[in-house]
Amino acid sequence: MKIRNKELDLNRLVKSIFCIAVGTGVGIIVYIIFILLNIAIFGWNLGLIFAPLVAGYVETELANRILKENLGAISAFILFIDTTFYSFILKNPTLGFNIITAGAIIVILQAAFPTLINYIFLVVIGGIISQTIGSLKHISEPMINFAKDVLSRYREETEEEIKSRTVPHFDESESNHYLNNLNFFFLTSTDMNDKKHKVIGNYQAYVIIENDRKLIHLEPERAEKEFLKKIKHGKDECLTKLSNEIKNDQGNAILNLSIKYNLVSIKGDIQISATGMGLYIQ
Amino acid sequence: MILTSSNTLENKKIIKYKGLVTGESLIGSNIYKDLFSGVRDVVGGRTSKYEEEIQKARDLTLNSMVDKAEELGANAIIGLKISYDNLGGTMGNTILVTAYGTAIKYEENED
Repeated sequence: MKIRNKELDLNRLVKSIFCIAVGTGVGIIVYIIFILLNIAIFGWNLGLIFAPLVAGYVETELANRILKENLGAISAFILFIDTTFYSFILKNPTLGFNIITAGAIIVILQAAFPTLINYIFLVVIGGIISQTIGSLKHISEPMINFAKDVLSRYREETEEEIKSRTVPHFDESESNHYLNNLNFFFLTSTDMNDKKHKVIGNYQAYVIIENDRKLIHLEPERAEKEFLKKIKHGKDECLTKLSNEIKNDQGNAILNLSIKYNLVSIKGDIQISATGMGLYIQ
Repeated sequence: MILTSSNTLENKKIIKYKGLVTGESLIGSNIYKDLFSGVRDVVGGRTSKYEEEIQKARDLTLNSMVDKAEELGANAIIGLKISYDNLGGTMGNTILVTAYGTAIKYEENED
């Protein structure tokens, strides 16, 4: 209650009790009307929902006008206890537990404690369901993988299967010679050190490396090795693309070359981009 | 082998641009598990294990780059750039360490 944080003067206390009492009174009247008119579904009176709602509403409106603050719908809570006591214990002491009463209890609780019940439904129950499904997957996946391993021991993998699970070999030395024999200068520096040159413009090229789902099934270390090979192939491809673009515009070099690796999707796809200033060096 | 991020070398004359050299390495996704599963070797707010792994990956990257420069007959790398990128996604918290620069051949200035 916000009232606790303020100085408890008698006047405010009396006004607060008045608001709660009026709210509770109106709620009881609403409940009596619902009982008299027998507004019910499967014998379950709808007043159980509407009486606390109306009580809370009246109390809040009144408190906002008189006290300029909210009391937290205490009357709704009182109504909830009253009506539940009356309908479930006094009025119908032999009420059995079945799906209708279970549903009714949930609906009453929902009306009385909306935040708590919504939390239980959405977070707790939702969490338990997703955790259970996740656990089942956790148990079943190693079993499936184990079965696959056992089966694979009794037959040799075909060349195609091996190829599909591995990235082509990447030769560092070969790549080094390849990039530096394209009749093109890749310069990471920002200055030509007095060499005569003509600026053509800014250039960029990029390559997307799709994350291969098959790699997930490999041992983590091997998966990383395969993934690194993909990145290296991608980098060579990106630089080749960039050099070709500049060559097409009669250039033969790139200055201030920048190579960037960025994660571009939730799946784990990587974008390799190369940018720089295209030049013609005499 | 001289490694520098600048465009020139003081008191040295660049006689030939040999080409682009690159190096790449990955820090495995298990690094975080390793860090938090065992002893928390946190010293002064930093984890020494993590620094070790980063250092190892950077050394691997730079060595690979230097080897390539030597292959090209260079004796220095200028315009050196190093970056660390978290590849995240389904690869876990894999960190890619990359380095690249321009391999050159220099000679000492006579004056």
